[in-house]
Amino acid sequence: MVLQQEDISQRLTQERASLFDRFLKGNARDLLAAHARLFDEYFQESFLSSRIGPHLHLDKYPYAIIAQGGYGRQEQCVHSDIDLLFLFEKKVPDRAEELVREIVYPLWDMGIDVGHATRSISDCVKLAGEDFEILTPLLDARFICGMSLLQTRLMDRLWQKLILKRTNKIVTWLVKRNDQRHEHFGDSTYLLEPNLKEGQGGLRDYHTMTWIARIKYHLKQPRDFEYLGLLSHSEFQRLSKVLSFIWQVRNRLHLMTARKCDQLRFEHQIDMADAMAMDEKMGLAPVERFLGELHSQMGFLKQQYLMFLHEHGRARNAPSRERHAQSPRLDGLVISNEMMSFKGPEVIVESPILLIKIFEESARLKVPISSEGRRLVREFLGLVTYDFITSPVAVKSFEKILTLTTRTFNVLNDMLITGFLEKWIPELRHIINRIQYDEYHLYPVDLHSIQVVQTIKNFGSAMDVAGDPLCGNFFSGIRNRKLLLWAALLHDIGKGKPGEDHSRKGAEIVRRVLGKKGLKPRQIDIIAFLVREHLLLSKTATRRDLNDEETALLCARKINNPDLLKMLYLLTVADSVSTGPKAWNQWTLTLIRDLTLKVLRVLETGELASPEAVHQVDAKKESLLESAETEARKSHLRTLFESMSPRYLLYMDPPDIRTHIGLYEELGDRAFVWHLDRAKTETNRVITICAKDRPGLFSNVAGVLTLSGFDILDARVYTWRNRIALDIIEAKAPGDADFEEERWERATRRLEEALSGRLDLDAALVERMKVYGTGGTRKTGRRPHRIKIDNSSSSFFTIIEVFTYNFPGLLYLVTHALFECRLDLWVAKIATKVDQVVDVFYVRDFNGEKIEDEAQTAFIKDKLLAVLNQRGVRGY
Amino acid sequence: MKKIEAIIKPFKLDDVKEALTEVGIHGMTITEVKGYGRQKGHKEIYRGAEYVVDFIPKLKIEIVVEAARADEVIKVVREAANTGKIGDGKIFVIPIETAIRVRTGEKGPDAI
Repeated sequence: MVLQQEDISQRLTQERASLFDRFLKGNARDLLAAHARLFDEYFQESFLSSRIGPHLHLDKYPYAIIAQGGYGRQEQCVHSDIDLLFLFEKKVPDRAEELVREIVYPLWDMGIDVGHATRSISDCVKLAGEDFEILTPLLDARFICGMSLLQTRLMDRLWQKLILKRTNKIVTWLVKRNDQRHEHFGDSTYLLEPNLKEGQGGLRDYHTMTWIARIKYHLKQPRDFEYLGLLSHSEFQRLSKVLSFIWQVRNRLHLMTARKCDQLRFEHQIDMADAMAMDEKMGLAPVERFLGELHSQMGFLKQQYLMFLHEHGRARNAPSRERHAQSPRLDGLVISNEMMSFKGPEVIVESPILLIKIFEESARLKVPISSEGRRLVREFLGLVTYDFITSPVAVKSFEKILTLTTRTFNVLNDMLITGFLEKWIPELRHIINRIQYDEYHLYPVDLHSIQVVQTIKNFGSAMDVAGDPLCGNFFSGIRNRKLLLWAALLHDIGKGKPGEDHSRKGAEIVRRVLGKKGLKPRQIDIIAFLVREHLLLSKTATRRDLNDEETALLCARKINNPDLLKMLYLLTVADSVSTGPKAWNQWTLTLIRDLTLKVLRVLETGELASPEAVHQVDAKKESLLESAETEARKSHLRTLFESMSPRYLLYMDPPDIRTHIGLYEELGDRAFVWHLDRAKTETNRVITICAKDRPGLFSNVAGVLTLSGFDILDARVYTWRNRIALDIIEAKAPGDADFEEERWERATRRLEEALSGRLDLDAALVERMKVYGTGGTRKTGRRPHRIKIDNSSSSFFTIIEVFTYNFPGLLYLVTHALFECRLDLWVAKIATKVDQVVDVFYVRDFNGEKIEDEAQTAFIKDKLLAVLNQRGVRGY
Repeated sequence: MKKIEAIIKPFKLDDVKEALTEVGIHGMTITEVKGYGRQKGHKEIYRGAEYVVDFIPKLKIEIVVEAARADEVIKVVREAANTGKIGDGKIFVIPIETAIRVRTGEKGPDAI
């Protein structure tokens, strides 16, 4: 019985619906072929029921309906186009239009995209020769109904006239076309919104392989990949699984979006993971596992494709990009066609070490491994035993691979793809294909790690991607690069264990891994440190105040070694660069580099962060804590330590600190409190001061002491981080001991007055000097006063050194001059030896910044010299 | 409505965000910016090469609120971003004509 067209259309609609329904329930075994069959039936029946169809035949216009492209391959996805050819023997009759209307229009009405062409055999051959875009779907041509002989003739003509004559040209075009697609759609093996069809690792890679195999090796059906020896049995098996996975996803995506949609967008990923029955595992959300799985499957396809191209896709005489004159040093390895491989499977059995040596030689000679070579590695992975992965020879070989650079291919990547890397460092298995589901991390963890290694090796070279000359500068000075590169490879290994701080966890794992590999404890310490702290610089740079010296000190104390800091910086930059554009830009670079250079300066100066300094400070804190009686007191002290500046803690002795703490607690609302200690010697006094810091404070103190007859010999001035000033001053007592108490009381009163502005200290001092005369006249032959302004020793302070000779009031004059230059005194060390004085002042301007402007430093210098030279003029 | 545009030190972001959340401000736009005002750039020297920071990295926060809330928000931002040192930033207040939520088309204060 011949059905009516409407019935045929209706049946197609129903059967498709029921097929998709079964597919979603998991009951459609081979959706693609079944789907193609439904269309075959439709066309066959339409053909029979057609009014025009039979007439055409009778009118001597024999024709055939031919399926092309995906439909031709019986890989018909849910909403993919139907690609159809109405093939006529000689001439396309005018009435062919009617045929199309009868058969194709109903499909359009159903919302199915049908692309069709009506052509004669010679047209087809001619057009295909002019435009290979027309040839490719024809490669997949499959007869549906009509006169089958026509298809045979078409194919014969295509082969004779076109394909056999221009094989290389077509292959080159196919490869180029696919490269363009990749460029446009990106690499689906890591993109967060991968294109299932057109991206790298997408179905088009498989199609291109198929087309090339058809053209060069007459492949008829997919199975032939194996039968023709293009893929090994296991590769073909895996490829089939991969394709079926991608098709599953693609068909579901078509159904979800109700249209032909091949890009897996964020909005569909969670549902897709659900549909693909991914559950949560290892702390990964279903969607993360799903994407990881998809990337891995597409990665396999991409690799198969690339390998296939290496061997079958390039014209034979293409020049190799990396010349090599040498041959492998090892017996079992050979180079042919500029590709490295084993002599045969038996050499691997005899000498399993070749499994890693092949990578080393590949890196050394810059010759990629052939697909046969990779295949053999993959199939002999069983020989990579515990003894293998802990053998010193293999470890040495791996370290070579780590440090060698190849430009056009990446040996570590090859190790990853072949599965060798995972065997070699089994602890990596948790991060292989591990996705972080956000827009920040662009690559799965394993690829990212390999990229970080590569980025570091490229620092300072033409392929440096960081845009920071400091990286090349640092990298060229790193003595033991392999340690840094180990750390780069393993820095994220802790990400395999969710829920914990991955840096800390990673450091633990790294210790185990490298312990097994037999690295020296000292080397392991360095690598584990780099792994543990690989976020320290970027976190600190963005979350802490870089103008606070303590920030740099904190890092410096942790890192403790300039070389280690440089390695950490390189790792930090490479890590950010390789994470994706959102993690890296000049903004972040500026912050991280600024911090690093500050820390470096601290470390190279060595003053505050040397191990000895750290030890001393710790010991002082410990001794102060010991003397605390209650736990509450101890915790109070710990809080106070937080406020104390690093120099203060380093240079003050515990008894002085204790006195200061006492005064600090006494201070309350007062401007200052101080304490006079007479116990030391007969003539010298120690004055301990605690005051609310403000610009000019110290010049007031010095002035008042001079005014009251205390001649300052030594002084140490510090400022806590909470802007409390703490000074220790050693002074010569005024001559008459009887009135000392009185003088001290007067001094206290005067300081109160001076600080509140009721006393004109300057005028009072001039008066006093008139009365008491000077402490020593100016002698000739003295060396001139010297002022040194140093901006390079500290990132945080301008250091002013004053070399002069002592006279009463000196310290007041100098510090008052500093105040008049609008400088804020943070640290001062005043030392007098006989009459020689060396004063060191750590200053910043009132805005808290260093004085880097040259005109300003010159002004300060002049002002200080003027003050020293004017001494006589002022009357004292 | 007012737009409050604040330039702050990068490490103060968390403090500012937290403080704003506490007063019920849940939306803001953050941009990484560079510039200088009174706080000038500085340079670090390593092996003779100067690494100059001409423009200091800062963050720009933009918040749109009903005019009545502007003063409160300014106060919160100012307090949270303050370190008392130079370079703490600035706050600008700009009148906003209207706001439209893209998804629903809601207009005016409802859209913020």
